[in-house]
Amino acid sequence: MKHGRIYLDNCVTTQPAPEVLQAMQPYFEEKFWVPGSFISTGETINDAIEVFANTVASAIWAKPSEIHFCSGGTLANNMAIKGLAAAYGKTGNHVIVSVVDYPDLLTNAAYLEKHGMEVTYLSADAQGFVNLAELKNAIRKDTFLFMTTAVNHVVGTIQPLAEIKAILDAADHKIYFHVDAGQAFGKIPLDVKELGIDTMAISAHKIHGPQGIGALYQNTGVKLGQTIHGVKRVDNLQTGGLNIALIAGFAKAVELAFTDFAATTKHLREISDYLLSSLENKIPEIELNGPRGAKRAPHNINVSIAYIEGEAITMMLDAKGITVATGSACASQGLKANYVLMAMGKNHVQAHGSMKFTVSKFTTKAQIDEVVTELAEISKELRARSPLYSATHKEK
Amino acid sequence: MHPHNVGKMENPDAVATEGSPACGDQVTVYLKVDEDKHIIEDISFLSYGCASNIATASIITDLAKGKSLDEAKKISWRDAMEALDGLPPVKVHCSVLAADTLQTAISNYEIAHGLKEVPNFSKDTIVAELKKIIYPQVGEDIVSLKMVKYVGFADGEVLIDMNMMNFDQWRENVAEEIREHLEKYPEVKNIKINFP
Repeated sequence: MKHGRIYLDNCVTTQPAPEVLQAMQPYFEEKFWVPGSFISTGETINDAIEVFANTVASAIWAKPSEIHFCSGGTLANNMAIKGLAAAYGKTGNHVIVSVVDYPDLLTNAAYLEKHGMEVTYLSADAQGFVNLAELKNAIRKDTFLFMTTAVNHVVGTIQPLAEIKAILDAADHKIYFHVDAGQAFGKIPLDVKELGIDTMAISAHKIHGPQGIGALYQNTGVKLGQTIHGVKRVDNLQTGGLNIALIAGFAKAVELAFTDFAATTKHLREISDYLLSSLENKIPEIELNGPRGAKRAPHNINVSIAYIEGEAITMMLDAKGITVATGSACASQGLKANYVLMAMGKNHVQAHGSMKFTVSKFTTKAQIDEVVTELAEISKELRARSPLYSATHKEK
Repeated sequence: MHPHNVGKMENPDAVATEGSPACGDQVTVYLKVDEDKHIIEDISFLSYGCASNIATASIITDLAKGKSLDEAKKISWRDAMEALDGLPPVKVHCSVLAADTLQTAISNYEIAHGLKEVPNFSKDTIVAELKKIIYPQVGEDIVSLKMVKYVGFADGEVLIDMNMMNFDQWRENVAEEIREHLEKYPEVKNIKINFP
């Protein structure tokens, strides 16, 4: 390895920024306290959390009182979905989600179904966009919740949130709108007020913050049933202790990402555009999965490399010091091809040969050059021994 | 990764392809056999699949090279796995696929050279195929694990009763594997798999 590891799996987690580590330090050391009143230690933490909530809230045009810090995106999704179901749903009531949504949403939908609610799973098109015509038809008198993944976690498709909201608003009753913004936060603008979002989950470690902290946005007036009971320390929804240093790091990461949001996202877009054009120039028979251009999140490139299998590619890149992800069944826990790609109408070979690259603000063009060079080499080697390749390509 | 005996063989004496791209792994084995001594003079493979798939195919060709057909017929997926110092349970099926492809190639050679008859399809064929299906949780085949309760075959219809609980996350995976293994036989018109 010529230099450090090249990490292109930033949709899973990102490297914490040095400024973030610095911002957390005091809360691990002298200010290790918990929030409280009357006593200066507790008041100090109270005041700090107020400032942090303000920082996070302003990034999504929310009020600080609408931010619930919690231990991550999955917890935020759970508190919102189970909370909305407890407050507004009853047995037999109806929920709408799509087959390409993030597992947090799909597993919660399955949970609601198990507890007597009905769920409609909308299909998606070949680019990963949720079928909005189906959404219109799926709405029933007893539909109380629609949930979506703002940026698809596999192919980076940006769902048309404003169009979705207009459809929900056209119903003759209120349908709550929950958004998982794990991949969207810090990548696309999310004005929760303009978009009319009721609840939204965001996470720190996808934007160079620390792991183990996220937030749930809860629009004023929206009720959420309690899912986690216990002593209130920081938040009334996620009761119990919450690491204040992580909240400090989260706020710093938000500050860094949003101070010059246009510049941050422009860099991501430039790098991923460069990656895509390099891949398309250097590797024959490769295809982009998901939309091209502005309807795709700026950090995600997902391609299928024909005739070869993604786990082998991933392991060979790993040996070269490069971390990427694949949608191959071999690499999954359940030995199944990636469900998002299959729902988009891809075949098994396309899904097994899919490679996902997600870049960050630390990714450089020099790194991209190295990755594409190695990948071109590996693809050539694997194709040379692939029976699928040899069946379709006569030897010269 | 430096697999041995990789590549397409020109004018092989026998060839076999097993697995399918749908399951994410496929192996082709080529044989060159000494006609008098019945010894595998040369062997090579092509592989579409993960690193374990490539590794097990590579090791199976190493094990078979220079062996007589009778010796090579005894090479099992367990031998391949041992030669690799074990595999994670979820990857044992790769070793089965590699061994299976070798055995099919040998069988194809024997049939083509009049050394054996084309076997009749029967219930035993189905059971033999089921023994090649690995339960990914533990890395053993579903027959040894007593997950197959009943096998029936009549008029092209295969009936299999499975003993896998409804909370078992591998049910769908195993059912898919069973279909893949049996659908390749022209005698099989329909497959019915029942779970409790």
